[in-house]
Amino acid sequence: MLFNSLDFAVFLPIVFVLYWFIFQRSLKWQNLLLLVASYVFYGWWDWRFLGLIMFSTLVDYLVALDLAKQQQLTKRKLLLAISLICNLGLLGFFKYYNFFIESWVDAWESLGINMSVSTLSIILPVGISFYTFQTLSYTIDVYRKQLKPTKNLIQFASYVAFFPQLVAGPIERAKQLLPQFSRPRVFNTDMALSGVSLIIWGLFKKMVVADNCAFFVNQIFDGAGNYSSAELFLGAVLFGFQIYGDFSGYSDIAIGVARLFGFSLMTNFSFPYFSRDIAEFWRRWHISLSTWFRDYLYIPLGGSRGTKWQGIRNVFIVFLVSGFWHGANWTFIIWGGLHGLLFLPLLIQKKNRKYIDATYLKLNQLPRILFTFILVCLAWVFFRADTLSIAWDMLQQIFSFSSGSLVLFYATSKSLLFSLITIFGILVLLFFEFKTVQTNKKEVTLSTSKLIFIALLIVFMGVYKNPSDFIYFQF
Amino acid sequence: MRLFLKHMLFASLVFIGLSLLISFASLWALRQGSFYKPSFLEYQVEASKFDYIVLGSSIGLTTLNTEVIDSVLGTRGLNLSMDDTALSSQYMMLEHFIASGKQTNICVLAASILDYDVVNNRLSGNDYRFLPYGSRTYVQDYYKSFSGRPAQILFYSKWFPMLGIGYYNTELFYPSIVSLIDSKKRNRFNAFGNYSYPEVSKESKSIEARRELKVAFKNPYMQRIQDLCAKHKIQLVVYIPPHKQIKVQPVEMPFHIINHSATLKNTEYFYDVQHVNVLGRQAASLRFAQEVSGLMGF
Repeated sequence: MLFNSLDFAVFLPIVFVLYWFIFQRSLKWQNLLLLVASYVFYGWWDWRFLGLIMFSTLVDYLVALDLAKQQQLTKRKLLLAISLICNLGLLGFFKYYNFFIESWVDAWESLGINMSVSTLSIILPVGISFYTFQTLSYTIDVYRKQLKPTKNLIQFASYVAFFPQLVAGPIERAKQLLPQFSRPRVFNTDMALSGVSLIIWGLFKKMVVADNCAFFVNQIFDGAGNYSSAELFLGAVLFGFQIYGDFSGYSDIAIGVARLFGFSLMTNFSFPYFSRDIAEFWRRWHISLSTWFRDYLYIPLGGSRGTKWQGIRNVFIVFLVSGFWHGANWTFIIWGGLHGLLFLPLLIQKKNRKYIDATYLKLNQLPRILFTFILVCLAWVFFRADTLSIAWDMLQQIFSFSSGSLVLFYATSKSLLFSLITIFGILVLLFFEFKTVQTNKKEVTLSTSKLIFIALLIVFMGVYKNPSDFIYFQF
Repeated sequence: MRLFLKHMLFASLVFIGLSLLISFASLWALRQGSFYKPSFLEYQVEASKFDYIVLGSSIGLTTLNTEVIDSVLGTRGLNLSMDDTALSSQYMMLEHFIASGKQTNICVLAASILDYDVVNNRLSGNDYRFLPYGSRTYVQDYYKSFSGRPAQILFYSKWFPMLGIGYYNTELFYPSIVSLIDSKKRNRFNAFGNYSYPEVSKESKSIEARRELKVAFKNPYMQRIQDLCAKHKIQLVVYIPPHKQIKVQPVEMPFHIINHSATLKNTEYFYDVQHVNVLGRQAASLRFAQEVSGLMGF
């Protein structure tokens, strides 16, 4: 079920009414309702893959219970290995099997040896990367004795499948979210109102900003050879806004929906395009994934401890794995590696934490912000392009500065109209975000009048006929 | 909870009120302009009696030039064809033409060739253009006759116009602003309803062979168009335009059929496989005028 669908517009009020008006007296029934609603939400897309979530849930539930009992390190490691193998095995099979097979064949073919290995026609289950990481965090935390396992299967299953964030995050840690399933819930008006505000803001980002950007982005990336340097560059910039509007919009809606049910989810995006360097960008972009990798990969690898080279190695591993997490394609790995390279100078100069506390933006920082934004957008070319050669050709064309023509954006009345809508949408987005950053708030808050204004923009500027899927569903 | 619901109710009411206001204003503006054919017909076309009208899809729109035909025959014609429409839309346009109080002696139907034998009709891509007249019974009945979300949205727009205006915002909301600024602005057609594709192909090659296609006029809207014509004493003429690859073999029907599917013998007349370019339009219109002159009593 998509957040920007009519199905969800019907589904959400039904669950809300049942949750607060029918089952409000029983925590157990509220959790059960959330679990059933989550499975319906997921099964709406393809009910066959519900079995995977249930399997993953059951494995980690049982492993964690056993981990709490076992004191022997070898057995504890074995249990952790079972969880890792099951979860990463499923993820590896559904997401990476064909990639490894094809890469293996390509590698031998590059040496002149032809191989005939058939790939499988595998459907990638929506959200598998998200809920796999979520359940893994639970088992690892229990293994590390940082979290006590829950004995309540309904609570645990609800935590794994919690529908607001099931398919595209934020990737919630068990430590943060699971205890909320065991606490009695009292309706909080301010929390619910802020939730509605976030839902509307998220829909605006998705339907007005991202989907209008997609009109140009799809044309440019599908026929990169036909466009000028300036058009390709703007294509990269628009994809930057598309993916931000799409993904952060989804996160905002997820956080907002969770608040309607009395749950707090972590902030996933903190105005990343106002970052002043790449390190700051990664503290503001997809925070739940960055911190997941920090806690479960970077720090176990040694983090910044040890020699400088070890630190650089660890950073690179995290960026490469992060890229690979996004998709089984070399384009994502290169994208991750590119960010690692951009991060490197800051790490060597020990400037990677320069803007960790500085929240207010100053006018003289604008060139830095723009520079960081352009770097991020150029890296997005690898993320969006279907193949490395297309990405490379696009970047070469951009840097050839051969033509400044922008005819794509005004060639027809339709493209001119989309240009105006897109520019207006982006300006509204930046205006609200800039105001929020300047007031040192964590999220855009909308007064009633602003809420209505944004809702009207969604109606009259949103894309309805051919909306793009949420980009992160494919991950 | 009560405070939350009160707050939501207030915000929802204001939102619905404002969106209704904007949507009704938008539909009103479209009705006061000439952006699309349905409002062009009502707002800008002053004449009420025509010798013939052309109803069709992009084929009718770009093949028959009523100015050429009228200059040859001394008639008064009007091209009401719309691109990306089906036979059902052409029926709808005929209904709309009659409902607007106008009359014609001949109705020239120039639909897409393949459309004549479609049995299960679906809402066409540009049927939303009738939405400014969504409160009229024939428009409502038309939208109601189709299944699928777009048709439902258009049907329920009678009460909640923000549904249709929102769903088709680039096609309706923004053109309504254009209509408000310039009520005479038309969307890719001239004052006679004509439009042509440019002459892009410089290729000049003789067309040697064409695939034969039998057309049996099985589409249920064909009968409805015949009935409507008969009811209003309009003579129906089906015009099969030149095609680059197909030679149509129509079955015998009780209406007059002008089959020009294989008349243009050179590729230089075509914009693409099924559309002629500006050269082809001139040739096809002259040929059509010759043939139709008898019907018009010249």
